[in-house]
Amino acid sequence: MDSHPGSRRPASAILRSGLAVTLVAAALGLTLLLQNVFSTAGYLFFYAAVVASAWFGGKWSGWLAVILSALAVEYYFMAPIRSFGLSRESLPIFIEFSASALIVGWFSSWRRQAEAELRYARDELQLRVEERTAELKQTNRQLLAEMAERKRAEEAYYEAQAELARVTRMSAMGALAASISHEINQPLAAVVTNADACMMWLSSKPPNLEEARAAVDSIAQQGTRASEVVRHIRAMFTKATPERTKVLVNDLIREVSTLIEGAAARNQVALQTELGTDLSAIMGDRVQLQQVIVNLILNGIEAMSEVADRPRLLLIRSTMQSSDEVLVAVRDSGVGIAPKDEKRIFDAFFTTKAQGMGMGLSISHSIIEAHGGRLWASANSDHGATVQFALPAERETAS
Amino acid sequence: MKDSDPIVFVVDDDEPVREAVKRLIASVGLRVEAFGSTREFLDAKRPEAPACLVLDVRLPGASGLELQSDLAAANVQIPIIFITGHADVPMTVRAMKAGAVEFLTKPFRGQELLDAIQNAIAKDRVAWNDRTQMADLRARYHSLTPREKEVLVLVASGLLNKQIGAELGTSELTVKTHRARVMQKMGADSLADLVRMAERINPSGTITK
Repeated sequence: MDSHPGSRRPASAILRSGLAVTLVAAALGLTLLLQNVFSTAGYLFFYAAVVASAWFGGKWSGWLAVILSALAVEYYFMAPIRSFGLSRESLPIFIEFSASALIVGWFSSWRRQAEAELRYARDELQLRVEERTAELKQTNRQLLAEMAERKRAEEAYYEAQAELARVTRMSAMGALAASISHEINQPLAAVVTNADACMMWLSSKPPNLEEARAAVDSIAQQGTRASEVVRHIRAMFTKATPERTKVLVNDLIREVSTLIEGAAARNQVALQTELGTDLSAIMGDRVQLQQVIVNLILNGIEAMSEVADRPRLLLIRSTMQSSDEVLVAVRDSGVGIAPKDEKRIFDAFFTTKAQGMGMGLSISHSIIEAHGGRLWASANSDHGATVQFALPAERETAS
Repeated sequence: MKDSDPIVFVVDDDEPVREAVKRLIASVGLRVEAFGSTREFLDAKRPEAPACLVLDVRLPGASGLELQSDLAAANVQIPIIFITGHADVPMTVRAMKAGAVEFLTKPFRGQELLDAIQNAIAKDRVAWNDRTQMADLRARYHSLTPREKEVLVLVASGLLNKQIGAELGTSELTVKTHRARVMQKMGADSLADLVRMAERINPSGTITK
């Protein structure tokens, strides 16, 4: 049985032999016919039968066709005709024919096998290519999934970071608030208790004026102590300006915008800047002034978080207010400021935000005042608000 | 003022607050002693009288809450009124669970503190009476001779003079004399009174022959 990998349809040995027999018989018939018509004929049909048998029936079918052809030719066409005897003259022709048939049959079956191997190789290659393609597709899918996962992780990371920053700020503020409230509560407790004690001593019979006087004395002292604490806290926020360097406001705005871009994009806010070209330098604390600008921008972005019916646009503009003041305005298209709140927004602990401490604008205000400037806010004629500050220009560098 | 007059202790590290509280308490005629730290309070000799403690939570060294548990551990029973500048819920819960009578947040009104003090002292007066009676009873018990103590135990356990005599190997008459002496020394008006006293001194039955 031919178990060559190239034999696609494993035909039975009988079928293969039958094929050889049929083809050789057909060749014989045709040759005899031609001989009757043209009185002579070549062995072309036998070669064709051998080639076809070897090609379609395989090696063994080819050999069978060769043998049958040799026998048929010898019997029908070699002298003496219609006998298996062989004359001296016919022998070389018969050998020539047999050898040719063998070569043709061998060549045909060799070609057939080579082609089958080639096809097999091609199929194998195709299979491999398909497998590799499938693998690549799989890898690609995994890669895409990983990229999506990575993006999600990154977003979660940024969110966590923002949350951490918020919590840190809140807990720092909370600790500060607790410390401040303790510092103020102590003298207040002494004041209230002394006042009550004073009343008691005055209403005792007879009134004890000495004790009452001591209590009032202590009240005055503790009132002063409380005001010292308050003054100290104010100083902590405002006077801490150790650095006074020459600052270009446009540089600050550019630096800050870079920092804020991410936050703006996340909140679908378009950030625009209109920076004046003729600005004077100012003297101040870079970090504190950056803080103010960041604060104003973040406030603007937050004010627009609910806006859905119009573009969320944040415009930062710098100009010379007059010859001696640099003006920075942050304009948003957010919820705006109620007229009654215009003054109060700079008070400490005033906030309209659910999560706000109400310290941002208050601290910004203190910083700008400590720089000898002004900070104010106003509602826009259409939507949102504009918060702006003006700082005194450095005279020497006025261009 | 008598030694057994109620007394208020104040522990607060903030001197002006401490002085103000002291002044307020003194205005209603109560004895008051103030300390700047838990250490000073623990080191001071405290008079035996109905008392209460006005205690700041936030103190240098051991905090007010620590002093509360230290006192409980040392079996010093004194009602505590906490005052604090910044109370949070867990702190308050902890203090009240540990038996604080009141928790006041500064600044508090004088009357609030005075009311709390009056309540605490009234509460401690009951406990104090108990404590002094008990001490008195113990002192009387310790004035008995060993034989008298034996007689007391047997009387309290319900035996008759005759049985006690048999138990101790003495005559009934001798027992009668001892018994009269015990009644007198303990200040008991009746046999029932004496039995009750014996039970109070010895609720767990440690006085045995």
